[in-house]
Amino acid sequence: MAMSETMAAREGGARGKPRFSSDLPQMLIGFVLIAITGFVPSILGNSYWVHTFQLVNIYIAASVFQNFLFVDAGQKSFGQGVLLGLGAYVTAIFFGLHDWPFLLAALAGLGAATAGGLLFAFPALRVQYFHLGFVTLSAAIVFPQLLMSLDKWTNGINGISVSMPGLHQEWFLGLSPLTLMIAVYPMIALAIHYAIRRSRLGRDMRVAALSPEAARSLGIRPGVMRFIAFIIAAIGTGVCGILYLPAVSFVSPQGFNVELSFVFFFAVVVGGRGQMLGPIIGIWIVFILPNIALAQFVEYRLLIYGLLTLLTVILFPDGIVGSIERWRARRGVTGRGEQAFRVDRFLETLEGGRETRPGDEVVVEVRGGTKKFGEVVAVDAVDLKVRRGEIHGLIGANGSGKTSLLNVLSGLSRLNAGSFLIKGEDATRRSADRIADMGIGRTFQTPRIFPQFSLWDNLRLGIDARVGDGSADIARLADALEAEFAQDSAELLSHGQRRLVEVMRAVLKEADIIFFDEPAAGLSQGERANFAKLVRFLARRMGKTIILVEHDLELVWDIADTITVMEQGRVVASGSPEAMSNDPAVQHMFVGGRRA
Amino acid sequence: MLAEILIIAVRGCAIGSIFALIAMSFNIVHGATGILNFAQGNMFVLGGFAAFFLANEAGVAWWLLMLPVAGILVAVLVTVQGWITLAPLRSSVEQDSWLISTVAFSTIIAALLMITQGPFAYTVQGPVPSFRILGVRTPGAYALAIGAMFFWYFALRIFLRHTFLGLAISALSQDFDAARAAGLPVRRLQLLAFAISGLIIGTAGFLVAPVISVASDAGLRYVLNGFVAAVVGGIGSNLGTLIGGPLVGIIGMLTAYRIGGAYQDLASLLLLVAILMLRPQGLFGRSSARRV
Amino acid sequence: MLEVRNLHAGYGNVPVIEDVSLTARPGEILLVGGENGAGKSTLMRAIAGFNKPTAGEVLLDGRPLHGMAPEAIAQAGLRLVLDGHRVFPELSVYDNLRMGAAARKGDRAGFAAAVDEIYAVFPILKEKYRKYARDLSGGQQQMLALGQAFVAQPKVLLCDEPSMGLAQALLPQILAFLRKWAETGTAVVIVEQHLKVTAPYADRAMIIERGSVKFACAASELEARLSAPEAAPAAASA
Repeated sequence: MAMSETMAAREGGARGKPRFSSDLPQMLIGFVLIAITGFVPSILGNSYWVHTFQLVNIYIAASVFQNFLFVDAGQKSFGQGVLLGLGAYVTAIFFGLHDWPFLLAALAGLGAATAGGLLFAFPALRVQYFHLGFVTLSAAIVFPQLLMSLDKWTNGINGISVSMPGLHQEWFLGLSPLTLMIAVYPMIALAIHYAIRRSRLGRDMRVAALSPEAARSLGIRPGVMRFIAFIIAAIGTGVCGILYLPAVSFVSPQGFNVELSFVFFFAVVVGGRGQMLGPIIGIWIVFILPNIALAQFVEYRLLIYGLLTLLTVILFPDGIVGSIERWRARRGVTGRGEQAFRVDRFLETLEGGRETRPGDEVVVEVRGGTKKFGEVVAVDAVDLKVRRGEIHGLIGANGSGKTSLLNVLSGLSRLNAGSFLIKGEDATRRSADRIADMGIGRTFQTPRIFPQFSLWDNLRLGIDARVGDGSADIARLADALEAEFAQDSAELLSHGQRRLVEVMRAVLKEADIIFFDEPAAGLSQGERANFAKLVRFLARRMGKTIILVEHDLELVWDIADTITVMEQGRVVASGSPEAMSNDPAVQHMFVGGRRA
Repeated sequence: MLAEILIIAVRGCAIGSIFALIAMSFNIVHGATGILNFAQGNMFVLGGFAAFFLANEAGVAWWLLMLPVAGILVAVLVTVQGWITLAPLRSSVEQDSWLISTVAFSTIIAALLMITQGPFAYTVQGPVPSFRILGVRTPGAYALAIGAMFFWYFALRIFLRHTFLGLAISALSQDFDAARAAGLPVRRLQLLAFAISGLIIGTAGFLVAPVISVASDAGLRYVLNGFVAAVVGGIGSNLGTLIGGPLVGIIGMLTAYRIGGAYQDLASLLLLVAILMLRPQGLFGRSSARRV
Repeated sequence: MLEVRNLHAGYGNVPVIEDVSLTARPGEILLVGGENGAGKSTLMRAIAGFNKPTAGEVLLDGRPLHGMAPEAIAQAGLRLVLDGHRVFPELSVYDNLRMGAAARKGDRAGFAAAVDEIYAVFPILKEKYRKYARDLSGGQQQMLALGQAFVAQPKVLLCDEPSMGLAQALLPQILAFLRKWAETGTAVVIVEQHLKVTAPYADRAMIIERGSVKFACAASELEARLSAPEAAPAAASA
C-alpha cells in the first residue's frame, strides 16, 4: 500500500500536478544534445567538427562539475582549469615522457587532480565564500607558472606531445573509442550531478550552503560538505583532463592558464546556475561563439567572455536556461492556500504509544550558564532543569535571553561561563552538529524552508538527519507525506505552514528533545489550537521532551508542565503553571486579560 | 650575507607595501559594501599605465602634477565599476552576484589592455633617483611605496575617524540597516568608498610603476597578493595590512632568492592556505574586524 | 502627519502585513501592540521603506513615501528607531549622535542645541560621550539610539520596541522622554510589548493581529478592551 503511494508520488505528473523539478527532463535533453554533437560529426566523417566537439564535450563535463560545486555546494571556484590541467599534464608526463601504460599514467593523473582538489578542500573545512574564490584563483595563476618553471619534469614551454593511434582507430560508423568515451563522459557527469542532487548527500550539501545554521542543527557539518564537494569536483574534472590528452594529443602551459578556469566558471553563469542544461548551453555560447563562430576575432575572446558574463549578471541573473525555467515554473506552480500543508490528519498515522507522563530523569540541565555579547549579558548565571517527557515553557519579555539560551543549548553559540548537560553528558563545548546527533531537534523563529527543494524534500531533511533506524510509525508517516507533497513547491506556503513544516522535520528526525523558538508567532487561532494538540501529542504520546520559548502565555499555560520565567538574562521564577500564575514575577506580564 | 638579508628586507617591505595598499583599498570597499573587488589588481596596473602615458621620464613638477590626475582617473573608473556592480544588488535576492561581476570586470580590463597595449610589460622611468643602502642600489620607487603605504594608512585613519563622511562609511560597515534608518545616503557613500579605493590604487600604481610589471596580464597577481596581505592582517583591519603586506612581500622575496622568482606566487598561495587553516580571522581579526 | 492607507507588505512571497491603515498626528503618541509575529516590526519596516510595500500608501503630510529607499524616507522626515538598541558600536557616543544629523542637513546650531537637550535628558550620554558605543549597557545604547533620532528632529518618529533587552525600570524614563518629545509637535508611533506600562504615555492604541488591525481605540481604553477581547471586532475602526 505504502509502496504504491510512493510510486504514484514519484510519477508526479500522473496525478495531475506539474513536475516540481525539471532536472530529469533537462538531463535527458542534455543526453540528446551531447549525443548529437558527440556522434554525428564522426558519422558524417567531418574530422574538424569531430575534434572541435570532442573539446567542447570535455569542457561541458568540466562545467557540469563546476555547476555542481557552484550551486549544490555553494562554492565559487575559479580554479577548475587547474584540476583539468593536473589530470592532463600528469598523465602526459608519465605516458609521454616515461612510457608508462596509458591506464597507469591516467591513474597518476587522476591522483594528481585529486591532490590538487585537496588544496581547495582543506581551507574549505574552515572558511568559505570569497576566501575560497581567492584560493582557487591563486591556484589558477600559479599553475601555469609552475608548469613553466618545473621544466625538468614538464618539458617547460615546449610541452609534451603524445600519440595514441589506438584510441583514434575507427570502430564502426566512423566512431573511434575516443569519440565514444568523450561523448559518454559528459553524460556520466550529468548523471552523477543528478544522482547527487537527488541523494541525501546532495540535500545535505545544499542545506549547508543555503543555511549553515539550519544545517548544523540537523547534524550536518558544513565544512565537511564543502570538503567532499571539492573532492568530487576534483575527481570529475581530473577525468576530463585525462580525456583531454588523447583528444588534443599535446599539452603545454599556455593551454592551462587562468582563462581556461574562467571559461568553465563563465559558462555556468551564462548557461544558468544550477540548471542541468546550463553547462551545455553555457559552453556552447561562451566557448564556441568566440573560438569557432567568430574565429577571426579570436584575440577578442577574453573580452567576449567577460562581457557576456557581465551582461548576464546584470540583465538576466538566472542565465539562459535559468530564465526559461523560471518562466516555466511561474506558469506551472500553483498555490494551495490554507490547506497547502496541514499536519493533523497525518498525526492519525501515528497511533503511537500510550499516554505517558513526564519522568523524573533530568535530560537537559544548565548550571550557571552565562552568555555575553560585548558588554551586554544575554544569559546571566542561569540554572535550569528539564525532565524527560516534560513540556517546559520558557517565557519572558523580548530580549530577556530566551533565544540566546536556546542557541547555546543547540550548540550554535558557546557559553562564556557555566556548563550544560544533555542526557547526563556534558555538552558545553560540543558543536551544533554533534548536539543535533544526540537527538535534539529545533525550530527557528524564521522557519528555515528552502524553496529550492520540493515540499517533501524540505520535510525529508528530517529523515536525512535521523541517527539510527527509524520506527515503523514514522516510516508510514513519511510515505504518506511523500505521496502528498513530492511535487509541491514550498515557496508559496504561509508563515504558519512553514513553521509546521519545520516541526514535522523535527518529528521525522525522531529527535527526542525538541526546542521550539516562538512556534506560535504568526499562527492563527485555529493553527494555534492545532499546534497545541501537536505538541501535546509529541510529549504525551511519543514521549518527547519539549522546551518551548513562547510569547502566547495562554498557549504556554495550556500545555506546559513547567514554566520558567526569564528577565534580563536571569531566571526569576520557575515552577508549575498553577504556582506561576500567583507569582508576582509573572503577574506584570499579563496586561488586560491574559495575553501580553 | 648581511647585505643579502638587508636587500631581502628592504625589497620585501617595499613590494609588501604595494600589497598593503591594495589590501587597504579592499578594506574600505569591503567595509562599506561587503564586496571584495576582484578587479582592483587591474585597476592598480592601470595606475602604472597612467604613469607610462602621462609622466614617463617626466620632470618632478610634471610628475607631481600627474600623480593626482592618475589617481582621479582610476578613481572614476572604479566608481563606474562600483555603480554597475551595485546595481543588480539593489533588487536581486542573491547577494553574491558581485563575485561574478567583479571577476568579469577584471577579465574585461585585462582583455582591453591586451588588445590595445599588447602582451608586453612597459618600462616606466620615474623622477625619483635610486639610492644606496649599505652599498646596495635601491630604486627610488621602493621608498615611494613604503611612503605611500604610511601616507594612506594615516590618511584613511583620519578620514574614517574624524570626518563626517568617513565616520558615515564606518557606520555603514557596522550596521547597514541602522545607517539607512539614520538617513545616511548609503549608495553615495558606497560609491565614495569605491572612489577612495580607486584613488589609493591609482596613485599607488602611478608611484611604483618603475618597479612593477606594467602589463595586461599582471593584474591578477597583484589582486592575489593584496588579498593575502588583507587576510594575514585580518580583513577590515588597516593596521593589519601594515604587517600583512610586508610579511607577504618578504616571504615572496625570500622565495625568489632561495628557490626562484617563479615560485613567489606559489609561496603566497601556500601562505594563504596556511593562514586560512590556522587563523582564518587573520592577525588582527575579530577584535578589530568591525573597525575599518 | 503620517497616514498609512491599506498597506500590504511581506518578505519574498510571504505576505505579513495585510491591509493596515493608521494615522499618526503631530503631538500624539500612537501605541501599536500585538503578539510577536503579528507583524508589528514588519509594519514599521514597511512604513520606513525597508520592506517595499506590495500595495497601499504611506503619506507624510500628503506626500507619498512608499517605494522610496529608507534613507530617503529618513531624510524626508520619517525616522525609524530599530528594535534591539542598535547603534554603531565602533563609533563614539558623540559620533553616533553626529550620524543622526545626516537626515538634517546644514543646521549646525540646531544640531548642537539638540545634542545639549539629549545630554540634559540622559546625562550618562554626556558623561560617556567619547566612549565607544559598544561599551555602553543595553539601556544606554537605547538612549543613544533615541538621541540619534532626536537630533534629526523628524516629523514622525517610529520607535520599535524601545524596551527590548532593557531592565524594566528604565522603560518609564524612556517613555517620559518620548512623551515630552511628542508634545513638541512630533508624531510618535511606539511598538511595544509592555502595554500596561506604555499605555499611560500614549494617546491612542492599536492592536495588530496576524498582519491586520484587530482594533484601535483611545490608549486609556486599551486595558478594558483587551480584557474583553470578544467584544473587539464589532468596534474595530481606526
